[in-house]
Amino acid sequence: MEEKLNNIKREIETKINEADSLQKIEEIRVEAFGKKSLLANISKEMGSLSVEEKPKVGKMVNEVRQALEAMFQAKKMELEEKALELAMKSSKKYDMTLPINGETGSLHPITMVQRELEDIFKSMGFTVEDGSEVETEYNNFEAVNVPKYHPARDMQDTYWLENGELLKTQTSAAQNKIMKKYGAPLKAIFPGRCFRNEELDASHENTFFQLEGMMIDEDISVANLIYFMKNMLSEVFKKDLEVRLRPGFFPFVEPGFELDVSCMYCGGKGCKVCKQGGWIELCPCGLIHPKVLEMGGIDPEKYTGFAFGLGLSRLAMMKYGINDLRILNSGDLRYLKQLGNK
Amino acid sequence: MYISINWIKDFVDLNGIDVDDLIKRFALSTAEVEGVQKHGDNLSGIIVGKIMKVEEIAESKKLHKLDVFDGKENVQVMCGAPNVREGMLVPFAPVGSVVQGINIGKATLAGYDSFGMCMSEKELGISDDHAGLMELYDVEPGTAIKDIMDIDDIVFEVDNKSLTNRPDLWGHYGIAREIAAITGRELKALEVEDLEKYSNLAKLNINIEDKEKCLRYTSMAVENISKHVSPINMRIRLYYTGSRGINLLADLTNYIMLELGQPMHAFDKSLISNINVKSLVEDTEFVTLDSNKRILPKDSLVICNDNTPVAIAGIMGGENTEIKDSTNSLFLESANFDPTAIRKTAIKLGLRTDASARYEKTLDPELTVLAIARFIKLLKDIDENVQVVSALTDVYAKKYPHIQIEITYDYIIKRIGENIPQEKMVSILKSLGFGVQETGSTMLVDVPSYRATKDVSIKADLVEEIARIYGYDNITPQTKNMELEIVRQDEEKTNDYVIKDLLAEKYNMSEVHSYVWYDTKKNKELNIKTEDNIKIINSIDAENSTLRSTMIPTLLCMLEKNIKYMSDVSIFEIGKVWSYPVKNKNCIENKNLGIILASKKKSEEELLNTALQSVHNIVTLTKNVQVTFKDMQDFTKHNWLNPVNSSSIFAQDRNIGYISILNLGIKNAIDKKLNCVLVEIYLDELNSLEKVQRKAQDVSKYQTVTFDLSFITSNTTKFEVLKNIIENTKTEYLASYELVDIFEDSEKLKDKKSVTIRFVLSSDEHTLTSEEIAKDRESILKAFEANEILIRE
Repeated sequence: MEEKLNNIKREIETKINEADSLQKIEEIRVEAFGKKSLLANISKEMGSLSVEEKPKVGKMVNEVRQALEAMFQAKKMELEEKALELAMKSSKKYDMTLPINGETGSLHPITMVQRELEDIFKSMGFTVEDGSEVETEYNNFEAVNVPKYHPARDMQDTYWLENGELLKTQTSAAQNKIMKKYGAPLKAIFPGRCFRNEELDASHENTFFQLEGMMIDEDISVANLIYFMKNMLSEVFKKDLEVRLRPGFFPFVEPGFELDVSCMYCGGKGCKVCKQGGWIELCPCGLIHPKVLEMGGIDPEKYTGFAFGLGLSRLAMMKYGINDLRILNSGDLRYLKQLGNK
Repeated sequence: MYISINWIKDFVDLNGIDVDDLIKRFALSTAEVEGVQKHGDNLSGIIVGKIMKVEEIAESKKLHKLDVFDGKENVQVMCGAPNVREGMLVPFAPVGSVVQGINIGKATLAGYDSFGMCMSEKELGISDDHAGLMELYDVEPGTAIKDIMDIDDIVFEVDNKSLTNRPDLWGHYGIAREIAAITGRELKALEVEDLEKYSNLAKLNINIEDKEKCLRYTSMAVENISKHVSPINMRIRLYYTGSRGINLLADLTNYIMLELGQPMHAFDKSLISNINVKSLVEDTEFVTLDSNKRILPKDSLVICNDNTPVAIAGIMGGENTEIKDSTNSLFLESANFDPTAIRKTAIKLGLRTDASARYEKTLDPELTVLAIARFIKLLKDIDENVQVVSALTDVYAKKYPHIQIEITYDYIIKRIGENIPQEKMVSILKSLGFGVQETGSTMLVDVPSYRATKDVSIKADLVEEIARIYGYDNITPQTKNMELEIVRQDEEKTNDYVIKDLLAEKYNMSEVHSYVWYDTKKNKELNIKTEDNIKIINSIDAENSTLRSTMIPTLLCMLEKNIKYMSDVSIFEIGKVWSYPVKNKNCIENKNLGIILASKKKSEEELLNTALQSVHNIVTLTKNVQVTFKDMQDFTKHNWLNPVNSSSIFAQDRNIGYISILNLGIKNAIDKKLNCVLVEIYLDELNSLEKVQRKAQDVSKYQTVTFDLSFITSNTTKFEVLKNIIENTKTEYLASYELVDIFEDSEKLKDKKSVTIRFVLSSDEHTLTSEEIAKDRESILKAFEANEILIRE
């Protein structure tokens, strides 16, 4: 009996070892462990054994069965792996170097720069306001301290409309409305499209974008303005910049400044961009003129504030290396598609 | 405006001060500097030469062979100047000197050696005169030219715009005052003639008729003028500062204007008897001294002799009383006019002069007498024979009020944010000419007349004076603590960005910016018709002066531009549009979104589907509400609408825009092969909708059941019809349904189509039984039968 069992074991072992396909091994499984298999026969024959022998042989049969099953499983796994490998090796090879249509749409460079700036200002607690593009003469000029026939009107060639309104020449046109809407204290920026009636060339556009900001509270000082502008501009240009103020005349501020930043290209050493001066004139700013506060319904004895204007079109040009201002309004997708991804 | 450092040195001692550094400090404290020119830098070794002999040569008609005495010896020089003559003293550049940066060496001209060159004024860089050699008088040959002429000078240009509010800085003396304050040096008093001594002479006849526009008219008369050419150093200063020598009297008026900022006018005294300053009652023809005939508009202020205009006040004199090179008697005008009146007339005439530019800035009327006293002094220095023949005649019609400002030190410190010592504040103000009386922590500040016409009137103005001279660079940046507040952001603004991102990222569209006015020429070319709208009245480009009332035309023009280069153009813009319902009332501004989807490859249907989907996404993302499309009732409103395929877009029963296939006429004008769909959304309408808050809904734990049904309908039946039937059918478990397929076949189905819809049934409480499913299916079938729609087996 024992010898018979060993023979069966050896025979099945050989068969398992020789199996070379999943189909074969499945046949072996039926042959070895199925209801009509040799092992099953042995179990059936055990009925004729003595009481003493029965448990002994039973144990042996079990051991053989377990050993064979383990061997069978191992072989089966091995064959499955081989089959998978084979299947993968014969799968279709794709060409990953084919040209790709990776085109996405594009946002306008102004939108991207504007949003970036808005996010910076929002993080500092500023409200973002949208101004109108057609404005009254009062909002664009009188309310920011530029009365009729003031020579400061020369600085800007205005598009006048037939009804006496105008296309706003500066974002400052929104100052009065915003002061009246929120009162003091106040922190707001108002980006927008502005218009000047002039001939176009690479650095002149009749339609361009500015971003203006105001901060009004008790005892706002020139020292606060310098601190704020330095930090804000360093964030805008992602560089630690120095700022300096020069006197500048803008009727809606007193004192008024031209603000220069240390050249972000050469770090102030002097280069082509800053014309060797180390400084780049960037934005007008100043303490809001008491008359302007008063016209906005804010008490100039109690409150002071500063205002500043940034040229969004100019920032977009600097950021994207655009050398012709007219590209921004050209709608020329050959340019815009290159630039317009976040 | 050009500022000569030599001229400044007349008034401030700049010894030991680096001029380049000074100009930088001026730019940081006073006004923008646009550039610096160093005159005489590239000129050295020039001396006085005397022409001893002039010989003609056979080889050239133009050239002469000269012997030039350089103070030591005669040298041979070849010269082509027409005015060359024996005995003449000229600037001479010997071998080894430098002219305009070029080293002068021995040269050979027409075969003759030439050891140096005789020079014109232009070659010296002191005028544009190149007609011949400059002639010198009363100097020793061999004298260095720079010893007898102020050729070396540093001139800086101040940006005029940055002087808009500083009438006092429109002359060298005002700039010198700033430089004195910046450097902490003394400002020298101006040397002037004592006019008192002429007070016994007769006065001139002057009348100011318009006392609003002419504030002051001051005048004096001079005779017996014998010199007519200005001294060379005066001419050099005029030339370096952008003017040019004409004759002594004209040059002197210019010189005074450049020195004090006060424009003056010199009339030929023999032609003036009674001056009257008045406004014209009607348009009047007048010839100005530039020989142009002009029509002076009614209300212009003019200077009249009796009743004949002789000058446009503050702008330009007339040809009829112009001083000539030979004029020997002078009626001198030094006046002050209302800035707005001068500006208005200058704008109307299109004639801006150095004088009008100054008057527009609101000059100090106190200057008029000073200017005359200075003029007489300079004139007598140059020509000792002149005789003053009148007393100073001064009609002062209107004075500016004297301004006093009370201010505390604390106020100034708070505004600047820097603890500037009190003595420093006082000394700064005094150096700029302000009077200061101190009482405790308060200053009573007297504003000098030259700052009091409009420039300095309130406390903030004094803060600026102190801060800028103290130096903005010396202020330490300080942060500011503000109360913590919630900042609400504008939902409309957020929505703009949601829409822009969606269209760019999901639909691959490109955002563009177009102009806010129509390009009428292009519109015509493309058959685009726009309604009349509000217009710009003064555009440089008259064809582009109608403001847009819709986004589509400008976008179509951009499509046309781009489709030449690419086969697909998908663009959008969020922009302002205007309507002008009531003439001469304010127009109404709205914000619209325009979309153009165009392709030479994709079908109209594909483009339309994309457009519909994008509209659906826009409304869902911003407001989370249902959007519906209804056939457009008035497709004649815009000529780009397609009569068959155009729909109005509705959400919450409001019309928020429209969608349309591009009208054939425009399409063909752009490109016949093009397919194009356009969308316009009225964003203000969209933004006014109520936003529906999204809420989570439980998902059924039980299995869902789906079945498809195909319906045979006319091929013109809209899906909306089927949708309405389904939504009006009462079912127990219908969770959702979707369109699976539309099948059209002209042979089998003829004018019908088969629409397959998948129905999804589910229950939150149990697994559906076949009876329950059958019941709902039956209800749907019956509903379609009731609407006479067949079910396909």
